[in-house]
Amino acid sequence: MKNTYSRSLSKKKVMSTDGMLIGMIKNILVDLDTGLVIDLVVKPDPTFDTGGYTMDGDRMFIPFEAVKDIKDYIVVDRYLSKK
Amino acid sequence: MKTQVTELFGMQVYTEKAIRVGEVDDLVLDVDGKKIDSLAVGNLNPELMELKGFRGVRIPYRTIRSIGDIVIVRHLSGAFKRTGVE
Repeated sequence: MKNTYSRSLSKKKVMSTDGMLIGMIKNILVDLDTGLVIDLVVKPDPTFDTGGYTMDGDRMFIPFEAVKDIKDYIVVDRYLSKK
Repeated sequence: MKTQVTELFGMQVYTEKAIRVGEVDDLVLDVDGKKIDSLAVGNLNPELMELKGFRGVRIPYRTIRSIGDIVIVRHLSGAFKRTGVE
């Protein structure tokens, strides 16, 4: 089991499993009733094509289910990250 | 309901017996379980517990009653030095 402090995630880059830079993490959405982590709020990189992703203005939502691992980068599954 | 984690930072933490515990410093996320593991609470009430060499405590998420404008944790007798207001 791996635990991470949420503050340590800020300013981390989000990368997809095919090696593409998606963007920079801005926030995390949680459900306080169930205690589940729902989404990552990401500011997409200008070079990244946001087609197919859930957007709100210039912010992009990536379901936390897509997160593979968190070390120096946050690695998300390229298929699961679209919903 | 969805909440941004940054909204929780700085929130006051009280027990259900209305005793102040401290302030939310950070959230500990369980990455594999995709859930909140615990709240890291700092700026602690010195009458409740004494910490030597630590900045705060981690309160497991299962002991949290509810979160609104403040955080209310279940009162655990024995977990805190002082269990009531004299």
